[in-house]
Amino acid sequence: MHSASLNAYWQLAAIAVLVGSVLWLPVAQAQIPPLAERLQLCSGCHNPDGNSVIPENPKLSGLDPEYLVRQLQDFKTGNRKSPVMGGIIPLVDEKEFKALATFFHRQTPKAGGSVDAKLAAQGREIYDEGIVGSAVPACSGCHNEDGSGTEKYPRIASQHSTYVVQQLLSFKNGGRANDSKAVMRAVAKRMSEKDIRAVAEYVVTLKGAE
Amino acid sequence: MKKTALVLALLLLPWQTALADAADAVRSPVGYGSKGYVWGKLLPEQAAAMKLSADPLRGKEAFRGCRGCHKPDAAGVTDGTYPRLTGQHASVILKQVTEVRAGVRINPKMEPFSSDHAVSPQEIADIAVFLASAESTRENGKGTGDFQARGKRLYEDGRCVKCHGRNGEGNGDNFYPVIAAQHYGYLKREMAYIQKGIRGNSHPEMVKAIKHYTDEDIEAMADYLSRLPDYRLSLVERQAK
Repeated sequence: MHSASLNAYWQLAAIAVLVGSVLWLPVAQAQIPPLAERLQLCSGCHNPDGNSVIPENPKLSGLDPEYLVRQLQDFKTGNRKSPVMGGIIPLVDEKEFKALATFFHRQTPKAGGSVDAKLAAQGREIYDEGIVGSAVPACSGCHNEDGSGTEKYPRIASQHSTYVVQQLLSFKNGGRANDSKAVMRAVAKRMSEKDIRAVAEYVVTLKGAE
Repeated sequence: MKKTALVLALLLLPWQTALADAADAVRSPVGYGSKGYVWGKLLPEQAAAMKLSADPLRGKEAFRGCRGCHKPDAAGVTDGTYPRLTGQHASVILKQVTEVRAGVRINPKMEPFSSDHAVSPQEIADIAVFLASAESTRENGKGTGDFQARGKRLYEDGRCVKCHGRNGEGNGDNFYPVIAAQHYGYLKREMAYIQKGIRGNSHPEMVKAIKHYTDEDIEAMADYLSRLPDYRLSLVERQAK
């Protein structure tokens, strides 16, 4: 009798430990790390101040926080595909998006690097005037003359040309399709690769301060 | 082999351009010529937008998304690729934008930028009142001027003046557009589209009225209308022009 009740006691204890650990595990996983710790994950590619120095990776400094949250959500759902972000995003909880976006929004954007002046001049023509013959609207219409963007369209000033080319080509071939109502895709489809390279070169030179 | 391919590509060039033009010129499945098309019957969105209280200052802001093609001064492109919008009746702007996005007026160039992401019904209403009062800062594109007299005669003798008025001022209450001082290239193109029944949201009476004109007649009328001054100028100023 005595040993039986002791046995039951241990059984109960074992169940309690099991149930407890099962309950505890997801809680431990959902623990959101402090922002500073989480930022280490981003800064490897985007730099601690969001001014990425790797031309393939976008600068995030000064971008609209809502735009950034939307991109993170789209990476999470697969609506926007990226081999790099696709691997990183499962590690980040959706609850963290807003704080991360706000952090990068508050960082001061750094001016772009040197450009091919001739190509940038061709790009400026397209950026400010559009290409009438191919029905390409002026980029400045939505992104502003200085590339500062609006509440509907993102800031693009001083962005890496390599990244801009990559994204516009992706919009053009439909690989990136998370633009609202396909507005950017419609424009990119009307541009040649040469137009895209010229515009991207000019975007580097934009300052973005309105 | 390479040479043949090159020659073939060169031969196809004009054909491709023609195709690109033809892409603009397709009959709207819900527009003019389709069963059940009634000109002037307001779409639900139009009826709702007409009732909104509109503000030109907000409209100026919202117009930012249109600048890419219609230019910051809303005067379009002089060659007529994009029309001049300054001084157009608010009701006409509202009707055209909402009918482009509803696919009644087929306009592949503009369609992506007329979506509800680009402009909400409130923004369309605001933009419309902003444009109606906006001033033109640039000269519009004009015809050669050689056919003005013929254009004037055709325009005034025909049924055009009945709706568009002697000064090309249209009629905002009836959604008839201002056509005075519009770019020559735009007038010519749209008149041809209406004649062919492919503008999508044409008034059936307008199609009938323009049907018997030759290409030269249309060029002459476009020439004349492009040379009419902005209808908002006073009568004295208009006569001086």
